[in-house]
Amino acid sequence: METLSARTALVVEDDDDIRDLLVRTLERDGFAVSGAPSGVAAIELARTIHPELVTLDVNLPGMSGLEVCRRLREHSSAYVIMISARSAEDDRLAGLDAGADDYLSKPFSPRELRARVAALFRRPRSPIQEKSELERAMEVQRGLLPETPPSLPGYEVAACFRPSRLVGGDLYDWNVESGQLHLTLADAMGKGMGAAMIAAAVRSAFRSVTAMPGLTMAFNHAAQSLTSSLESSGSYATVCTIRMNPASGRFSYVDAGHGIAAVVPADAGAPRRLEPCGPPVGLWGENQWESQREDLLPGESLVLVSDGVLDAVGDLDGTMAAMAEIVRAGGSAQEAADALAALTEGDPGHDDVTAVVVRRLPAS
Amino acid sequence: MQIDVERHDTYSEVSSQGRLNMVAAPKLKEAISSEIGTGAKRIVVNLGKTEFMDSSGLGALISCLKLARQAGGDLRIANVPQQVLMVLQLTSMDRVLTPYPDAASAFDRA
Repeated sequence: METLSARTALVVEDDDDIRDLLVRTLERDGFAVSGAPSGVAAIELARTIHPELVTLDVNLPGMSGLEVCRRLREHSSAYVIMISARSAEDDRLAGLDAGADDYLSKPFSPRELRARVAALFRRPRSPIQEKSELERAMEVQRGLLPETPPSLPGYEVAACFRPSRLVGGDLYDWNVESGQLHLTLADAMGKGMGAAMIAAAVRSAFRSVTAMPGLTMAFNHAAQSLTSSLESSGSYATVCTIRMNPASGRFSYVDAGHGIAAVVPADAGAPRRLEPCGPPVGLWGENQWESQREDLLPGESLVLVSDGVLDAVGDLDGTMAAMAEIVRAGGSAQEAADALAALTEGDPGHDDVTAVVVRRLPAS
Repeated sequence: MQIDVERHDTYSEVSSQGRLNMVAAPKLKEAISSEIGTGAKRIVVNLGKTEFMDSSGLGALISCLKLARQAGGDLRIANVPQQVLMVLQLTSMDRVLTPYPDAASAFDRA
Protein backbone atom coordinates (compact mmCIF):
# COMPACT_ATOMS: atom_id res chain seq x y z
CA MET A 1 0.00 0.00 0.00
CA GLU A 2 1.22 3.41 -0.91
CA THR A 3 0.76 6.21 1.52
CA LEU A 4 -1.06 9.30 0.37
CA SER A 5 1.86 11.62 0.78
CA ALA A 6 3.94 11.75 -2.39
CA ARG A 7 7.12 9.76 -2.46
CA THR A 8 10.13 11.96 -3.03
CA ALA A 9 12.76 11.39 -5.67
CA LEU A 10 16.00 13.13 -6.52
CA VAL A 11 17.37 13.20 -10.07
CA VAL A 12 21.10 13.89 -10.28
CA GLU A 13 22.11 14.63 -13.86
CA ASP A 14 24.17 17.42 -15.40
CA ASP A 15 22.56 17.26 -18.85
CA ASP A 16 19.48 19.53 -18.70
CA ASP A 17 17.50 17.60 -21.32
CA ILE A 18 18.04 14.20 -19.75
CA ARG A 19 17.31 15.61 -16.30
CA ASP A 20 14.01 17.05 -17.53
CA LEU A 21 13.12 13.72 -19.08
CA LEU A 22 13.87 11.85 -15.86
CA VAL A 23 11.97 14.37 -13.74
CA ARG A 24 8.91 14.18 -15.96
CA THR A 25 9.00 10.40 -16.12
CA LEU A 26 9.11 10.04 -12.36
CA GLU A 27 6.51 12.74 -11.79
CA ARG A 28 4.16 10.76 -14.01
CA ASP A 29 4.59 7.91 -11.53
CA GLY A 30 3.53 10.09 -8.64
CA PHE A 31 6.89 11.14 -7.25
CA ALA A 32 7.62 14.63 -5.98
CA VAL A 33 10.86 15.13 -7.89
CA SER A 34 13.79 17.49 -7.34
CA GLY A 35 16.66 17.80 -9.78
CA ALA A 36 20.33 18.46 -9.05
CA PRO A 37 22.95 19.23 -11.73
CA SER A 38 25.98 18.23 -9.62
CA GLY A 39 27.04 15.86 -6.87
CA VAL A 40 27.58 18.60 -4.32
CA ALA A 41 24.11 20.03 -4.94
CA ALA A 42 22.66 16.50 -4.74
CA ILE A 43 24.15 15.71 -1.36
CA GLU A 44 22.96 19.00 0.07
CA LEU A 45 19.46 18.51 -1.33
CA ALA A 46 19.28 14.91 -0.11
CA ARG A 47 19.84 16.09 3.45
CA THR A 48 16.74 18.26 3.33
CA ILE A 49 14.28 16.33 1.15
CA HIS A 50 15.19 12.78 2.32
CA PRO A 51 14.40 11.14 -1.03
CA GLU A 52 13.16 7.57 -1.23
CA LEU A 53 14.56 7.23 -4.76
CA VAL A 54 17.70 8.71 -6.32
CA THR A 55 18.71 8.44 -9.97
CA LEU A 56 22.37 9.19 -10.30
CA ASP A 57 24.41 9.91 -13.43
CA VAL A 58 27.82 8.27 -13.11
CA ASN A 59 29.70 10.86 -15.16
CA LEU A 60 29.02 14.06 -13.28
CA PRO A 61 31.34 17.05 -13.46
CA GLY A 62 33.36 17.39 -10.25
CA MET A 63 32.41 14.75 -7.72
CA SER A 64 31.75 11.47 -9.54
CA GLY A 65 28.45 9.62 -9.30
CA LEU A 66 30.18 6.80 -7.42
CA GLU A 67 31.44 9.21 -4.77
CA VAL A 68 28.00 10.83 -4.52
CA CYS A 69 26.52 7.37 -4.00
CA ARG A 70 28.98 6.55 -1.23
CA ARG A 71 28.26 9.82 0.54
CA LEU A 72 24.51 9.39 0.21
CA ARG A 73 24.83 5.98 1.78
CA GLU A 74 26.32 7.55 4.87
CA HIS A 75 22.93 8.89 5.85
CA SER A 76 20.34 7.65 3.37
CA SER A 77 18.71 4.31 2.66
CA ALA A 78 17.03 5.60 -0.54
CA TYR A 79 16.82 3.32 -3.56
CA VAL A 80 19.64 4.41 -5.85
CA ILE A 81 19.63 3.75 -9.59
CA MET A 82 22.92 4.59 -11.31
CA ILE A 83 22.65 5.75 -14.91
CA SER A 84 25.63 5.72 -17.22
CA ALA A 85 26.60 5.75 -20.87
CA ARG A 86 29.06 3.04 -19.97
CA SER A 87 27.73 -0.43 -19.56
CA ALA A 88 30.92 -2.34 -18.88
CA GLU A 89 30.65 -4.95 -16.16
CA ASP A 90 33.30 -3.18 -14.08
CA ASP A 91 31.24 0.01 -14.03
CA ARG A 92 28.13 -1.85 -12.96
CA LEU A 93 30.03 -3.59 -10.21
CA ALA A 94 31.60 -0.34 -9.03
CA GLY A 95 28.14 1.21 -8.86
CA LEU A 96 26.66 -1.66 -6.90
CA ASP A 97 29.69 -1.69 -4.63
CA ALA A 98 29.21 2.01 -3.89
CA GLY A 99 25.72 1.22 -2.62
CA ALA A 100 23.52 1.46 -5.73
CA ASP A 101 20.47 -0.81 -6.01
CA ASP A 102 20.26 -0.94 -9.78
CA TYR A 103 22.14 0.18 -12.87
CA LEU A 104 20.73 1.53 -16.12
CA SER A 105 22.70 2.18 -19.32
CA LYS A 106 22.13 5.15 -21.60
CA PRO A 107 20.26 5.34 -23.87
CA PHE A 108 17.37 4.03 -21.82
CA SER A 109 13.65 4.23 -22.41
CA PRO A 110 11.42 5.95 -19.88
CA ARG A 111 9.41 2.74 -19.77
CA GLU A 112 12.41 0.74 -18.66
CA LEU A 113 13.19 3.26 -15.93
CA ARG A 114 9.61 3.13 -14.65
CA ALA A 115 9.65 -0.67 -14.69
CA ARG A 116 12.90 -0.76 -12.70
CA VAL A 117 11.59 1.76 -10.16
CA ALA A 118 8.37 -0.20 -9.77
CA ALA A 119 10.39 -3.40 -9.26
CA LEU A 120 12.51 -1.76 -6.54
CA PHE A 121 9.50 -0.44 -4.68
CA ARG A 122 7.70 -3.79 -4.93
CA ARG A 123 10.24 -5.20 -2.56
CA PRO A 124 10.32 -2.82 0.37
CA ARG A 125 13.45 -2.55 2.45
CA SER A 126 13.35 -5.12 5.21
CA PRO A 127 12.83 -3.65 8.69
CA ILE A 128 16.51 -4.14 9.44
CA GLN A 129 17.52 -2.21 6.34
CA GLU A 130 14.93 0.44 7.02
CA LYS A 131 16.68 1.20 10.21
CA SER A 132 19.86 1.44 8.21
CA GLU A 133 22.76 -0.73 9.17
CA LEU A 134 24.62 2.44 9.94
CA GLU A 135 22.02 3.52 12.48
CA ARG A 136 22.23 0.09 14.06
CA ALA A 137 26.02 0.43 14.15
CA MET A 138 25.60 3.78 15.88
CA GLU A 139 23.49 2.17 18.60
CA VAL A 140 26.08 -0.56 19.05
CA GLN A 141 28.89 1.96 19.28
CA ARG A 142 27.00 4.08 21.83
CA GLY A 143 26.35 0.90 23.75
CA LEU A 144 30.06 0.21 24.01
CA LEU A 145 30.70 3.52 25.72
CA PRO A 146 30.47 3.54 29.51
CA GLU A 147 26.95 4.45 30.56
CA THR A 148 27.68 6.31 33.73
CA PRO A 149 30.75 7.93 35.26
CA PRO A 150 32.70 5.68 37.62
CA SER A 151 31.75 6.27 41.23
CA LEU A 152 34.90 7.65 42.75
CA PRO A 153 34.55 9.75 45.92
CA GLY A 154 36.51 12.96 45.58
CA TYR A 155 36.51 12.85 41.76
CA GLU A 156 34.33 13.98 38.91
CA VAL A 157 34.72 12.04 35.66
CA ALA A 158 32.97 13.01 32.41
CA ALA A 159 33.27 12.57 28.67
CA CYS A 160 31.77 13.89 25.46
CA PHE A 161 31.88 11.98 22.14
CA ARG A 162 30.85 13.45 18.79
CA PRO A 163 31.54 11.31 15.73
CA SER A 164 31.88 13.18 12.43
CA ARG A 165 29.46 10.70 10.89
CA LEU A 166 26.92 8.44 12.56
CA VAL A 167 29.74 6.29 13.87
CA GLY A 168 33.43 7.04 14.32
CA GLY A 169 36.89 5.82 15.18
CA ASP A 170 37.15 7.48 18.58
CA LEU A 171 36.41 5.61 21.75
CA TYR A 172 36.74 6.18 25.44
CA ASP A 173 36.33 3.66 28.18
CA TRP A 174 36.64 3.62 31.94
CA ASN A 175 36.07 1.26 34.80
CA VAL A 176 37.14 0.86 38.40
CA GLU A 177 38.87 -2.40 39.21
CA SER A 178 40.65 -3.32 42.43
CA GLY A 179 40.21 0.25 43.59
CA GLN A 180 42.03 1.69 40.59
CA LEU A 181 40.55 3.90 37.90
CA HIS A 182 41.27 2.57 34.40
CA LEU A 183 40.74 5.08 31.62
CA THR A 184 41.41 4.75 27.89
CA LEU A 185 41.00 7.16 24.99
CA ALA A 186 41.78 5.77 21.55
CA ASP A 187 41.40 6.99 18.00
CA ALA A 188 41.36 4.51 15.12
CA MET A 189 42.55 5.70 11.72
CA GLY A 190 39.92 7.14 9.44
CA LYS A 191 36.23 7.79 9.95
CA GLY A 192 32.96 5.91 9.63
CA MET A 193 32.10 2.26 9.94
CA GLY A 194 35.57 0.80 9.29
CA ALA A 195 37.13 2.99 11.96
CA ALA A 196 34.30 2.13 14.38
CA MET A 197 34.96 -1.59 13.99
CA ILE A 198 38.65 -1.11 14.71
CA ALA A 199 37.75 1.06 17.72
CA ALA A 200 35.58 -1.73 19.11
CA ALA A 201 38.46 -4.19 18.80
CA VAL A 202 40.83 -1.75 20.52
CA ARG A 203 38.37 -1.27 23.37
CA SER A 204 38.08 -4.97 24.10
CA ALA A 205 41.82 -5.56 23.85
CA PHE A 206 42.47 -2.93 26.51
CA ARG A 207 39.47 -3.97 28.61
CA SER A 208 40.82 -7.51 28.74
CA VAL A 209 44.09 -6.47 30.41
CA THR A 210 42.73 -4.30 33.23
CA ALA A 211 43.35 -7.06 35.76
CA MET A 212 46.95 -7.53 34.64
CA PRO A 213 49.41 -6.03 37.13
CA GLY A 214 51.67 -3.28 35.85
CA LEU A 215 50.57 -0.93 33.08
CA THR A 216 53.67 -1.46 30.93
CA MET A 217 53.04 -5.18 30.75
CA ALA A 218 49.28 -4.79 30.32
CA PHE A 219 49.66 -2.22 27.56
CA ASN A 220 52.19 -4.22 25.57
CA HIS A 221 50.07 -7.32 25.92
CA ALA A 222 46.97 -5.56 24.56
CA ALA A 223 48.96 -3.85 21.80
CA GLN A 224 50.56 -7.10 20.73
CA SER A 225 47.19 -8.81 20.50
CA LEU A 226 46.01 -6.05 18.16
CA THR A 227 49.07 -5.52 15.98
CA SER A 228 48.66 -8.22 13.37
CA SER A 229 44.97 -7.56 12.75
CA LEU A 230 45.58 -3.82 12.58
CA GLU A 231 48.40 -4.31 10.10
CA SER A 232 46.44 -6.67 7.91
CA SER A 233 43.52 -4.27 7.78
CA GLY A 234 45.85 -1.39 6.95
CA SER A 235 44.83 0.51 10.04
CA TYR A 236 46.25 1.68 13.34
CA ALA A 237 45.09 3.41 16.49
CA THR A 238 46.49 6.05 18.79
CA VAL A 239 45.87 5.08 22.41
CA CYS A 240 46.27 6.88 25.70
CA THR A 241 45.55 4.73 28.72
CA ILE A 242 45.75 5.55 32.39
CA ARG A 243 45.67 3.74 35.74
CA MET A 244 45.09 5.92 38.74
CA ASN A 245 45.16 5.32 42.44
CA PRO A 246 42.30 7.60 43.57
CA ALA A 247 43.56 7.89 47.14
CA SER A 248 46.87 9.48 46.16
CA GLY A 249 46.03 10.86 42.71
CA ARG A 250 49.17 9.16 41.42
CA PHE A 251 48.72 7.57 38.03
CA SER A 252 50.72 5.68 35.46
CA TYR A 253 50.01 6.14 31.78
CA VAL A 254 51.03 5.08 28.31
CA ASP A 255 50.55 7.57 25.50
CA ALA A 256 50.96 5.70 22.20
CA GLY A 257 50.94 8.34 19.50
CA HIS A 258 47.99 10.17 20.97
CA GLY A 259 49.80 13.20 22.26
CA ILE A 260 46.99 15.44 23.45
CA ALA A 261 46.57 14.86 27.16
CA ALA A 262 47.57 17.05 30.08
CA VAL A 263 47.13 17.78 33.76
CA VAL A 264 45.66 21.24 34.18
CA PRO A 265 46.51 22.92 37.49
CA ALA A 266 43.63 24.51 39.38
CA ASP A 267 44.63 28.13 39.07
CA ALA A 268 47.53 29.52 37.10
CA GLY A 269 50.38 27.45 35.76
CA ALA A 270 50.87 25.80 32.42
CA PRO A 271 49.26 22.40 31.76
CA ARG A 272 51.66 19.47 32.25
CA ARG A 273 51.47 17.50 29.02
CA LEU A 274 51.66 13.72 29.27
CA GLU A 275 54.89 12.51 27.63
CA PRO A 276 54.65 10.59 24.36
CA CYS A 277 55.63 6.96 24.98
CA GLY A 278 55.97 5.78 21.38
CA PRO A 279 54.13 5.36 18.09
CA PRO A 280 50.47 4.43 17.63
CA VAL A 281 49.52 0.75 17.95
CA GLY A 282 49.76 -1.15 14.66
CA LEU A 283 51.49 1.59 12.69
CA TRP A 284 55.15 0.78 13.07
CA GLY A 285 55.95 -2.86 13.68
CA GLU A 286 56.47 -4.48 17.02
CA ASN A 287 57.08 -1.85 19.58
CA GLN A 288 57.62 -1.73 23.32
CA TRP A 289 55.89 1.02 25.23
CA GLU A 290 57.11 2.08 28.66
CA SER A 291 54.62 3.57 31.12
CA GLN A 292 55.28 6.95 32.76
CA ARG A 293 54.10 8.46 36.04
CA GLU A 294 52.32 11.69 36.91
CA ASP A 295 50.27 13.04 39.81
CA LEU A 296 46.84 14.60 39.88
CA LEU A 297 46.76 16.93 42.88
CA PRO A 298 43.57 18.11 44.60
CA GLY A 299 41.90 20.74 42.41
CA GLU A 300 43.71 19.59 39.26
CA SER A 301 42.08 18.11 36.17
CA LEU A 302 43.37 15.45 33.80
CA VAL A 303 42.15 16.30 30.30
CA LEU A 304 42.33 14.09 27.21
CA VAL A 305 41.01 15.14 23.82
CA SER A 306 41.16 13.48 20.41
CA ASP A 307 42.79 15.16 17.44
CA GLY A 308 39.48 16.53 16.15
CA VAL A 309 39.95 19.27 18.75
CA LEU A 310 43.55 19.84 17.68
CA ASP A 311 42.51 20.18 14.02
CA ALA A 312 39.86 22.73 14.95
CA VAL A 313 42.20 24.81 17.12
CA GLY A 314 45.16 24.50 14.75
CA ASP A 315 48.17 23.78 16.96
CA LEU A 316 49.21 22.02 20.14
CA ASP A 317 49.98 25.12 22.22
CA GLY A 318 46.62 26.62 21.35
CA THR A 319 44.89 23.35 22.21
CA MET A 320 46.64 23.17 25.61
CA ALA A 321 45.65 26.78 26.29
CA ALA A 322 42.03 26.08 25.32
CA MET A 323 41.99 22.99 27.56
CA ALA A 324 43.22 25.04 30.51
CA GLU A 325 40.81 27.89 29.89
CA ILE A 326 37.76 25.64 29.58
CA VAL A 327 38.59 23.47 32.58
CA ARG A 328 39.17 26.54 34.76
CA ALA A 329 35.93 28.22 33.63
CA GLY A 330 34.23 26.91 36.76
CA GLY A 331 31.65 24.50 35.35
CA SER A 332 31.30 20.80 36.08
CA ALA A 333 33.56 18.19 34.49
CA GLN A 334 30.71 17.36 32.10
CA GLU A 335 30.34 20.99 31.06
CA ALA A 336 34.08 21.17 30.45
CA ALA A 337 34.05 17.99 28.31
CA ASP A 338 31.09 19.30 26.30
CA ALA A 339 32.77 22.67 25.81
CA LEU A 340 35.99 21.00 24.63
CA ALA A 341 34.12 18.91 22.08
CA ALA A 342 32.21 22.01 20.96
CA LEU A 343 35.49 23.62 19.87
CA THR A 344 35.05 21.76 16.58
CA GLU A 345 31.71 23.40 15.84
CA GLY A 346 33.15 25.95 13.44
CA ASP A 347 35.01 23.21 11.52
CA PRO A 348 32.47 21.65 9.13
CA GLY A 349 34.74 18.85 7.89
CA HIS A 350 35.78 17.97 11.42
CA ASP A 351 37.09 14.60 12.49
CA ASP A 352 35.56 12.51 15.24
CA VAL A 353 36.00 14.30 18.53
CA THR A 354 36.13 13.07 22.09
CA ALA A 355 36.99 14.85 25.31
CA VAL A 356 37.47 13.23 28.71
CA VAL A 357 37.89 15.18 31.95
CA VAL A 358 38.92 13.70 35.31
CA ARG A 359 38.74 16.35 38.00
CA ARG A 360 40.12 15.75 41.47
CA LEU A 361 38.02 17.83 43.79
CA PRO A 362 39.88 20.31 46.02
CA ALA A 363 40.66 18.99 49.49
CA SER A 364 37.94 20.18 51.85
CA MET B 1 43.56 16.62 -4.42
CA GLN B 2 46.22 15.90 -7.01
CA ILE B 3 49.19 13.54 -7.09
CA ASP B 4 52.06 14.07 -9.51
CA VAL B 5 55.03 11.83 -10.09
CA GLU B 6 58.24 13.26 -11.49
CA ARG B 7 61.27 11.10 -12.19
CA HIS B 8 64.69 12.54 -11.46
CA ASP B 9 68.09 10.91 -12.07
CA THR B 10 68.43 9.37 -8.64
CA TYR B 11 64.92 9.45 -7.17
CA SER B 12 61.22 9.69 -7.93
CA GLU B 13 59.41 12.71 -6.57
CA VAL B 14 55.77 12.25 -5.67
CA SER B 15 53.94 15.50 -4.96
CA SER B 16 50.66 15.52 -3.11
CA GLN B 17 48.62 18.66 -3.52
CA GLY B 18 45.56 19.47 -1.41
CA ARG B 19 44.12 17.54 1.52
CA LEU B 20 45.76 14.21 2.26
CA ASN B 21 42.77 12.53 3.92
CA MET B 22 40.66 9.37 3.76
CA VAL B 23 39.73 10.09 0.13
CA ALA B 24 43.22 11.00 -1.11
CA ALA B 25 45.27 8.50 0.92
CA PRO B 26 44.50 5.46 -1.30
CA LYS B 27 45.46 7.50 -4.40
CA LEU B 28 48.82 8.43 -2.91
CA LYS B 29 49.41 4.82 -1.96
CA GLU B 30 48.51 3.65 -5.44
CA ALA B 31 50.82 6.20 -7.12
CA ILE B 32 53.77 5.28 -4.91
CA SER B 33 53.30 1.52 -5.04
CA SER B 34 53.09 1.60 -8.83
CA GLU B 35 56.26 3.69 -8.88
CA ILE B 36 57.98 1.13 -6.67
CA GLY B 37 56.51 -1.58 -8.90
CA THR B 38 58.33 -0.14 -11.91
CA GLY B 39 61.62 -0.45 -10.04
CA ALA B 40 62.00 2.92 -8.32
CA LYS B 41 63.95 2.53 -5.07
CA ARG B 42 64.17 6.08 -3.81
CA ILE B 43 60.92 7.90 -3.29
CA VAL B 44 60.64 11.47 -2.08
CA VAL B 45 57.16 12.63 -1.13
CA ASN B 46 57.00 16.37 -1.60
CA LEU B 47 54.41 17.69 0.85
CA GLY B 48 54.94 21.39 0.05
CA LYS B 49 51.42 21.75 -1.33
CA THR B 50 49.72 19.42 1.13
CA GLU B 51 47.21 21.61 2.93
CA PHE B 52 46.22 19.11 5.59
CA MET B 53 47.06 15.55 6.53
CA ASP B 54 44.87 13.38 8.76
CA SER B 55 45.34 9.93 10.30
CA SER B 56 44.54 8.19 7.00
CA GLY B 57 47.20 10.29 5.25
CA LEU B 58 49.76 9.31 7.87
CA GLY B 59 48.73 5.66 7.49
CA ALA B 60 49.32 5.88 3.72
CA LEU B 61 52.76 7.47 4.14
CA ILE B 62 53.88 4.81 6.60
CA SER B 63 52.61 1.91 4.52
CA CYS B 64 54.45 3.36 1.50
CA LEU B 65 57.59 3.65 3.61
CA LYS B 66 57.27 -0.06 4.45
CA LEU B 67 56.76 -0.91 0.77
CA ALA B 68 59.83 1.06 -0.26
CA ARG B 69 61.99 -0.60 2.38
CA GLN B 70 60.69 -4.06 1.50
CA ALA B 71 61.77 -3.33 -2.08
CA GLY B 72 65.25 -2.49 -0.80
CA GLY B 73 64.76 1.24 -1.14
CA ASP B 74 63.56 4.08 1.07
CA LEU B 75 60.93 6.78 1.24
CA ARG B 76 61.62 10.28 2.54
CA ILE B 77 59.52 13.37 2.94
CA ALA B 78 60.39 16.92 1.96
CA ASN B 79 58.94 20.43 2.24
CA VAL B 80 56.89 19.39 5.23
CA PRO B 81 54.30 21.98 6.30
CA GLN B 82 53.65 22.80 9.94
CA GLN B 83 50.41 20.86 10.29
CA VAL B 84 51.94 17.67 8.85
CA LEU B 85 54.96 18.10 11.10
CA MET B 86 52.62 18.35 14.08
CA VAL B 87 50.90 15.07 13.17
CA LEU B 88 54.31 13.39 12.83
CA GLN B 89 55.47 14.73 16.19
CA LEU B 90 52.30 13.83 18.09
CA THR B 91 52.48 10.25 16.85
CA SER B 92 56.27 10.04 17.40
CA MET B 93 56.58 9.14 13.73
CA ASP B 94 59.00 12.01 13.10
CA ARG B 95 61.66 9.57 14.34
CA VAL B 96 60.79 7.20 11.52
CA LEU B 97 60.01 9.69 8.77
CA THR B 98 62.58 12.46 9.02
CA PRO B 99 61.55 15.65 7.25
CA TYR B 100 63.99 17.08 4.67
CA PRO B 101 63.94 20.71 3.57
CA ASP B 102 63.51 19.92 -0.13
CA ALA B 103 63.21 16.99 -2.50
CA ALA B 104 66.72 17.36 -3.95
CA SER B 105 68.43 17.05 -0.56
CA ALA B 106 66.37 14.13 0.75
CA PHE B 107 68.77 11.52 -0.58
CA ASP B 108 71.98 13.59 -0.35
CA ARG B 109 73.14 11.47 2.56
CA ALA B 110 71.88 8.21 1.19
